[in-house]
Amino acid sequence: MATPSGAVTSSDAAAPAPARPARRRRRTVGQRASFGSALLWLGPALLLIAGVVVYPAIALVQASLSRFSVTGLRLGGAGADNYRHVLDHPDLGTVLTNTVIWVVAVVALTVLISLAVAQFLTKEFFGRRLVRWALIVPWAASLVITAKTFVLIYDFYYGTLNTVRDHLGMSPVDYLGSDTWILPAMIVVGVFVSVPFTAYVFIAGLAAIPGDVYEAARIDGASPWQIYRRITLPLLRPALMVASVLNIIYVFNSFPIIWTLNDRNPGFSHDTTITFMYKLAFKSAEKDVGMSAAAGIFNVLLILVVVAIYLKVTSWKEETR
Amino acid sequence: MHTKTTVVAGGLVAALALAACGGGTGAGDSGATGGGASGSGGSGSGGKTIKLVAAEYSKDNTAKFWNQFKTKYEAKTGNKLEVQIVSWDTIDQTSSTMIQNNNAPDILNLNAYASYAKDDLLYSADDVLSPTAKADLLPAFVKSGTYKDKMYGMPDLSSARAFFYNKALFTKAGIASPPKTWAEFEADAKKIKALGKGAIGYALPLGPEESQGEFSIWTFNNGGTWKNGDTWAINSDKNVKTLEFMKKLAVDDKVTQNNPGKTNRQQAFDLFKSGNVGMVVGFSPLAADLDKEKKVDYGVAPMPTADGGTPKTFGVTDYLMAFKKPGNQQAVKDFYDLYYSKDQVNQFIKAEGFLPVTKTGLDYFKNDAKLKVYLDTLPNIQLTPTDDPAWDKVKLAVQQNLGSGVGPSGDPKKTLDSLQKTAESSS
Repeated sequence: MATPSGAVTSSDAAAPAPARPARRRRRTVGQRASFGSALLWLGPALLLIAGVVVYPAIALVQASLSRFSVTGLRLGGAGADNYRHVLDHPDLGTVLTNTVIWVVAVVALTVLISLAVAQFLTKEFFGRRLVRWALIVPWAASLVITAKTFVLIYDFYYGTLNTVRDHLGMSPVDYLGSDTWILPAMIVVGVFVSVPFTAYVFIAGLAAIPGDVYEAARIDGASPWQIYRRITLPLLRPALMVASVLNIIYVFNSFPIIWTLNDRNPGFSHDTTITFMYKLAFKSAEKDVGMSAAAGIFNVLLILVVVAIYLKVTSWKEETR
Repeated sequence: MHTKTTVVAGGLVAALALAACGGGTGAGDSGATGGGASGSGGSGSGGKTIKLVAAEYSKDNTAKFWNQFKTKYEAKTGNKLEVQIVSWDTIDQTSSTMIQNNNAPDILNLNAYASYAKDDLLYSADDVLSPTAKADLLPAFVKSGTYKDKMYGMPDLSSARAFFYNKALFTKAGIASPPKTWAEFEADAKKIKALGKGAIGYALPLGPEESQGEFSIWTFNNGGTWKNGDTWAINSDKNVKTLEFMKKLAVDDKVTQNNPGKTNRQQAFDLFKSGNVGMVVGFSPLAADLDKEKKVDYGVAPMPTADGGTPKTFGVTDYLMAFKKPGNQQAVKDFYDLYYSKDQVNQFIKAEGFLPVTKTGLDYFKNDAKLKVYLDTLPNIQLTPTDDPAWDKVKLAVQQNLGSGVGPSGDPKKTLDSLQKTAESSS
């Protein structure tokens, strides 16, 4: 839950690996599987995809084209009304701005910090195993619990941070209630929960770089910074791409942090598109499932566009190199 | 090896298919079994399955009560009762999803019913409530449960707000008795604040959780209201004066906690429980917590009023509403008959620490000294306009926006004007 780990495990599950590959040489490469056995292998995955991806997607589109009562009762077709209402919403601009700041800040900081952490954790040092384990903890904890913990840290009256400030003779700060502090406060939590996964991707990436490339560079007299910029970063590119794309999708869709840390603030002034959508359906004066569904469609389109642009920009750089 | 894996995979497919079917027909089941049974008539029709979706008032007691209720109900009627307890945070979402999927529960416990009645989804009391049970309900709750001359919202329990004060802080600040007017209240709050060490005069929660409740009790005691007959009066002079007074407390006097427009009720209660707050508007469950923790020596008093007149109490009741579904009428009637029997409804209310909704309930609780201050006011309680479907949206708008009126740059008049506009366009 805390990271794109969900995506990783589900793709693992979709491709069942034979238990003892060495013993099973009988099945030679390239042999065609019959349609029936292929269907049996793929069946569960296909059913799952139909049930949890295709059907909800259809239901979402249907809902976005329907008019709903505040009770959830479908009153009839709405045409494009729901979409129009979302685009006309007075807080849409604020919500989109918040979303951009949230995604860009969290992903950029996460990648930068994770690069440093990964670099550090590939060095041999006493207690490295312990540090690596410690890094997993925020990843393993449920996001809601992490967010609640940070509420306790940030709280104006009981928060750890303000207790520390008090001891230092500083006046307390309302991290969760003040309009200037709430977004940075949420970004810190977003980075905190995203670093573990990202750092592990980078550790794996660094481990895959062969040592002799570095040896050659050193013999040629390259400085450490040159080595990092000209060898490590380019060879880490696949890992960087994976980490960035997964983080963009994941951070963009992140609900619990913003919901939990922002719940005392009225209105939409600190919401991203995800919490905006939820409030439209259940918490705001609109309380309209149809409008929320339309916002959901915009949300999917938005993330597709953002990822497409990201991939385009990064591969364009590769071509011009 | 090869065949074995194929078999396993095949089994998985079958299991998934079965699971999918199970989910699809589960809802239909109850309807199908009921069709035949209802024809037999009589009180013990039996064999029908109905579903209750109930809000969770407390982790300890809600599920416990409904489970024993289920056992009793099933033994008495031969029907089956499915119980689903849902937290207040998500019950709106749960119920609207159920209705959207054409899979409404038979009975739903919620704080709103009028929109459901407007959508023609509910049985009225004439259909499912016995005359004795209806006659026993307190008139204020019958009125609040009535939409267009018919009662649809059956009250399950109620609560009334009262004014809590910290006796230790009052003594320290040299205040002899709880304030009776707003002027006294403001002076007392200043005295407590002057004690220093983080002391807070009054904890004012106008955040998105329940700001309509906090505002109600203050404005009712200033002669304000949400609705005058059939017209919305959200931006009436009295209401504007009330919100201006609250802003004054927060911004000019600074006698409230930090940022009242962004404080939820629970946070205000937590502050009061910590012993740093002089006054707060609370209700019986807060008293129960305070008694359990024994940290704060508190008193409960009627609300101070703007001009020293007779205090008014703001009350809340939640509802058990019944959805019209083919063949479930008798089973629902049996449900209500059992729920409103003395040993059930009062047992529930007692366990949760709330207040009764029936005349016999008033009698049942009358010897409880702790509840006296609330019980005395219960028959004259003033509620929010829950009988208006528009209120279901207005309430959300109030929760989301009222707090902005008491910020440093807030404009009480403008805030209430915009809420008035929302109310008028929702009607």
